[in-house]
Amino acid sequence: MWADLVAFRGKSSAKADLLLGAMLAAGLLLLWEAVARAGLVAPQFLPAPSAVLSAAWTMTTQQSLLWHAAVSTFRVLLAFAIAAAMAIPIGILMSSYRIVGAALEPTIDFIRYLPVPALVPLSIIWFGVGETTKIFLLWLGTFFQLVLLVADDMRRVPHEYVEVAFTLGAKPRNVLTDVALRAMGPTLVDNLRITLGWCWTYLVLAEIVAADSGLGFVIWSARRYVKTPEVMAGVVVIGIIGLVTDQVLRMLHRRMFRYL
Amino acid sequence: MAEPYLSLEGMTKQFGGVPVVSTTNLAIDRNSLVVFLGPSGCGKTTLMRMVGGLDLPTSGTIRLDGEPVSGPDRRRGMVFQSYSSFPWLTVEGNIAFGMHYRNDLTAAEKAERVRHYLRLIRLEDFAGSYPNRISGGMRQRVAIARSLAAGPDVLLMDEPFGALDALTRERLQVELRQIQKTEAKTIIFVTHDVEEAVFLADRIILFSARPARILHDIDVSAVLGTERTLEARETQAFFNLRNDILHRIRTETELHL
Repeated sequence: MWADLVAFRGKSSAKADLLLGAMLAAGLLLLWEAVARAGLVAPQFLPAPSAVLSAAWTMTTQQSLLWHAAVSTFRVLLAFAIAAAMAIPIGILMSSYRIVGAALEPTIDFIRYLPVPALVPLSIIWFGVGETTKIFLLWLGTFFQLVLLVADDMRRVPHEYVEVAFTLGAKPRNVLTDVALRAMGPTLVDNLRITLGWCWTYLVLAEIVAADSGLGFVIWSARRYVKTPEVMAGVVVIGIIGLVTDQVLRMLHRRMFRYL
Repeated sequence: MAEPYLSLEGMTKQFGGVPVVSTTNLAIDRNSLVVFLGPSGCGKTTLMRMVGGLDLPTSGTIRLDGEPVSGPDRRRGMVFQSYSSFPWLTVEGNIAFGMHYRNDLTAAEKAERVRHYLRLIRLEDFAGSYPNRISGGMRQRVAIARSLAAGPDVLLMDEPFGALDALTRERLQVELRQIQKTEAKTIIFVTHDVEEAVFLADRIILFSARPARILHDIDVSAVLGTERTLEARETQAFFNLRNDILHRIRTETELHL
């Protein structure tokens, strides 16, 4: 089990991989704790993991951290659902019909390169400082990336599959639903998983804008009072939510595409 | 004169002004296995794809049973060199997909046909397996069965055994000959392998290097008969025909095979 870990291109073993990953993480935490306890760095810059943990506990019991986490999760999922519901059909059409692809590609490419923070003022002018702005910003960061990934997935569906379907009597509509969607399924779900992660990265930005709830708000207001342990606790919660969602989606992927 | 079953009249094809197929006329009989033989990249595949309606000719008309071909449909099935069986369907599911767009069959008839083609390609034991769990030869059998299940009049095969190892290849060639007889299909088979062409064909159409032009029209069944077993490969007649064709290719295409 251990010999494979150090062999060049050695076999992978789920158990060994997990153990090694956990060991490194634990080692880093211990090192961090030691450095903080030794007083090598001022605590407002680097509080010990134990201090972060106790801050997280206080926040959970007294400052409804879980509620903030739920609000953030809801915002991300809503914005992501809207982005995916738009990106999947539009991306597929872009690669299926030249008229759609040729018309949309330049515009999408342009918007894709705009940094989301640059659009915050505009978003406030358009939608005010309420919930709409936050959803819009999250959507903005996700949709334009996802739509091109979906278009690419569609383009990669082997042409033989499409031609075989035609010679079996399929119409273009049938080819889309019965062949292309099925063929692109695994990469599509993978890309959804990856862009959901990107959506989370825009959360703090969206929740800095005049919010009174959500993890971004928690982190930003703790910063104002240099409550570094609370800032870190907020960040860690985002990390944990990300890790859990990613694992759940990977599991779903394995379940949905058993034939792989 | 009776109308030929499948006719190609004045076919030409250019890609961006470059001629790929020069004027080709051909009449193909029902229930015959015709091999398009020629050097790689000569345009024989393009000609076959035009029969399938997958490529449109620059000029010329193809008629199947008198009806002009205008695009791909269920009357002309296709088997590719790459393993085109759908990875998300089982062997059985792939064969059933061949009848997915046939509303004229009842569910019971479809199920019976699936069983029939599973037996035909001898994959009853792998009915529930996914394509990535079976060998390349098995996958190509699945692709053939799927095409046959749709009930085409003509089966178009584009170097279907090209990626297989020699032994598997030989077996599939024998099986294809049998299938063609029992299922009574007209088959156009594209290959650049002379031995394969001679073993399979009722008739070989030998093409020049690009742009494809018919060099010879060889009636193989007149020489070897219609019964082909593995032993047929070792007969003097087989050798002679093979060498004769190789010789013609070398001299007439001036090509490096």
